[in-house]
Amino acid sequence: MTESVFFWIFAVLTVLLAAQVVLRRNPVHAAVSLVGAFFFLSGIYLLLAAQLIAILQVMVYAGAVMVLFVFVIMLLNLKEEEMGHERLTAWKIIGGASIVVTTGLIAYLALGNAYPTGLLRDMARTQPGFGSVKGVGQALYIASVLPFEVTSLLLTIAVVGAVVVAKGKI
Amino acid sequence: MEVGWLYLIPLLPLLGAAFNGLAGRWVPKSWVYTVALVVVLLSFLIGFAGFVQMSGEEGTQFHETVYTWFAVGSLHVDLALSLDRLSGALVLVITGVGFLIHLYSVGYIDEDPGYWRYFAYLNLFVAAMLLLVLGDNLVAMFVGWEGVGLCSYLLIGFWFDDDAKAYAGRKAFIVNRIGDFGFLIGIFILFNATGHVDFAGMRASPLPYAVAMWAAGLLFLGATGKSAQLPLYIWLPDAMAGPTPVSALIHAATMVTAGVYMIARLSFLYVQAPGILALVALIGCLTAFWGAIIGTAQNDIKKVLAYSTVSQLGYMFIGVGVGAFFAGTAHLITHAFFKACLFLGSGAVIHGLHGEQDIAKMGGLKKYMPHTAITFAIATVAITGVLPISGFFSKDEILAQALNTSAFKFLTLTPDPTGPRLGFLGPLIYVLGTVTAGITSFYMWRCYLLTFHGNYRGPEDVHPHESPAVMTLPLWVLAILSVVGVVLVLPIHDFPWSWEHFTDGLFAHARGGAPGEYLPPLVTYGIAVVVAWVGFAGAWTLYKPARNIAGDVAFERATPRLRRALVNKLYVDEIYDVVVVRTVWRGARLLWRVVDAAIIDGLLVNGSAQLVAAIGALGRRFQNGNVQRYAAVTALGVAALVYLLLVRT
Amino acid sequence: MVGPVHYLVLAAILFALGAAGVVIRRNAIIVLMSIEIMLNAVNLSFLAFSRFPLVPVAPMQAGIYAGQVAVFFVIAVAAAEAAVGLAIVIAVFRSRTSVHVDEFDTLKL
Repeated sequence: MTESVFFWIFAVLTVLLAAQVVLRRNPVHAAVSLVGAFFFLSGIYLLLAAQLIAILQVMVYAGAVMVLFVFVIMLLNLKEEEMGHERLTAWKIIGGASIVVTTGLIAYLALGNAYPTGLLRDMARTQPGFGSVKGVGQALYIASVLPFEVTSLLLTIAVVGAVVVAKGKI
Repeated sequence: MEVGWLYLIPLLPLLGAAFNGLAGRWVPKSWVYTVALVVVLLSFLIGFAGFVQMSGEEGTQFHETVYTWFAVGSLHVDLALSLDRLSGALVLVITGVGFLIHLYSVGYIDEDPGYWRYFAYLNLFVAAMLLLVLGDNLVAMFVGWEGVGLCSYLLIGFWFDDDAKAYAGRKAFIVNRIGDFGFLIGIFILFNATGHVDFAGMRASPLPYAVAMWAAGLLFLGATGKSAQLPLYIWLPDAMAGPTPVSALIHAATMVTAGVYMIARLSFLYVQAPGILALVALIGCLTAFWGAIIGTAQNDIKKVLAYSTVSQLGYMFIGVGVGAFFAGTAHLITHAFFKACLFLGSGAVIHGLHGEQDIAKMGGLKKYMPHTAITFAIATVAITGVLPISGFFSKDEILAQALNTSAFKFLTLTPDPTGPRLGFLGPLIYVLGTVTAGITSFYMWRCYLLTFHGNYRGPEDVHPHESPAVMTLPLWVLAILSVVGVVLVLPIHDFPWSWEHFTDGLFAHARGGAPGEYLPPLVTYGIAVVVAWVGFAGAWTLYKPARNIAGDVAFERATPRLRRALVNKLYVDEIYDVVVVRTVWRGARLLWRVVDAAIIDGLLVNGSAQLVAAIGALGRRFQNGNVQRYAAVTALGVAALVYLLLVRT
Repeated sequence: MVGPVHYLVLAAILFALGAAGVVIRRNAIIVLMSIEIMLNAVNLSFLAFSRFPLVPVAPMQAGIYAGQVAVFFVIAVAAAEAAVGLAIVIAVFRSRTSVHVDEFDTLKL
């Protein structure tokens, strides 16, 4: 019961804020809305018994990545005329419509009968301590230690690449 | 006997050709000459050492498989060489005469800026000719065969900025291609029937009669192209556009005899096709006569010698055609000596007169160039047979063999075995050949007398002079060889140096048994001497020194139509032009307009390009570089997939 | 009662919003943000399937946490992608003084 209440609150707020991101003209407004959306999304992750991921969501996304976005917006310091106006071309309408139709169709046709009724497996109920930092940490460090370490390499390359691209001229 | 040094004989000139062709332009002149001469000389020495070793014992054959060239299924082709008594003797002729001609060329081509190109081609030619002769299978032989054709083309068109000379080169190449086509088909037929391309393997395999006939006939077609026989002889007179030493080496002494060599090498095949053998003899006889009569009216000294070559090659084909393979090849060797001497002598004359080739504008040159005159006279004696030196005996042996041959006695004109027999063909060839010998004597003495005797008729400002020693030395060597070459062909049975004795057992024997004897040998010799002297007497009365050019005028007055036809080479080129060249031309135009321009260019090439352009124009609308457009198109594609996968099922 | 379908529909809505933002918005920074929304929608579906698995999972630690581990890596990659993407936006803005993606058409060349 508590899960339902929280789900609906979080879900409605996440969707509203995400819509703000897409619809707002000013990138600063969009960025702030996105931070809010990530916060509420991490709440939803908590509902899904993913405590570690919820923490990472707040730390990495709402914290680091969004700070990066805000920094870039500040760095570019776009003036009113530089933000430009949205032009709604035929191709944009076609693309947007096909996205909405596609996702709607998938949600309606595929998800509706994906789960057999009455045989629901719920790990949060059956596995004690599901999604705990300890459990996920063990999975990360024992089963996926190589990808985990490679991730550090990827992040290093990304940092170097970002510096090189941003410094040099294109 | 397997040996490991045979490959050096063709390889050395090939290396020389590579050096001269690639580096000759930048190295000093003397290097080019040294390399070109030394490689041929080394080839000669290796060939000579091998020949001495090999000829000691009868039946010895040196064989070397250099490497397996290709093996596909049952087709196994080695680059294999073999040195037996026939190929060994020819190696000596090619490298020996070739060396002399290389030496002569140093004097002849010295002033030409393309000397390095010339020696590269000449070395390449020697390499290809050696491969042709040494090759132990038909494919290796064919490589040499094509190689000498290529060099012939390159050297005829050596002065390619002259359109007429470049055209002569093309003509030689194309006419040769027609023959080579037959040669190639002949190889295919033989391989198909025997499963071998090497001579030993083919020799051991039994051949059905029809296969032997077809293969021998098609290979002979190749020989008529390469060896300038009727009807494909027309390229050889035009080939005189090349430098004169080239005419001596390629178009007289070596390359044009390749057809005779090929038939002698494949004697085992030709004796199984007696009809083709008769055709070879007949074509040879007609060509000998045809070349000789045209030769009587030519005024270009090189053209006279060219038609003489055509005619002498005809004799060689008579020899191999009547089954006397030794006689044909013996004449090949003696002819190489005296005809090379004649050509080099004509080259010395042309050189001394600064490019003049018309014998009507020569005369009296004996005084200015005595060495040339004497050697030319010796070679003329050899070819005409007024005195019994090499050419006399080799030609007479051929004619005697033709008269006495038994090869045609069992042949019938029709498939009906009781029909008329071809036994008369041998004597007929003998009569025509003897008449031709008289004509030969006439035109060769005419050429000699007009060139070296009488008064000098050329322009005043040209001062004839003798050639340098580097050119007269080869002339003398060849003249001496023309005389002492007689030991090869002396008609003494069991004479150890005699070519007949030497090659005993090398050639297959024609069906029909040993030659009979219509006339005793002394009678035929008598006839031959008389005929030669009659020819000489005819030439002397018309062209004796005091009369200068008046002989031609008298000839013209006596038979104006005949002489005009002969001067114009019996209009053969014109007939070929109308019958063959124009027809091919029209066909080619048709193919060009309809197939090439309309179908291939228009429909296939441009059409496909236009189709691609149309598709591209359509695709370009999507490829405008706008990322969002791409994303939208992707989304549309995903929607289509979802519709197909989820909604329709 | 909230079930897995609720979460998945929420993920679909977020994904559609993000994708629509990518296709429609001109501002490159907003496009990058929309991509982040799409990635989060995918993360959400991963976690939903992790809590409500469709197939019986092997009784292994790694097996039941496969979805959460995947989300971890997605977050890491998303951080790298944001860094590089924003660096490109800065570089392009310097040379073109514009952040509008429909003006970046050098892909055509």
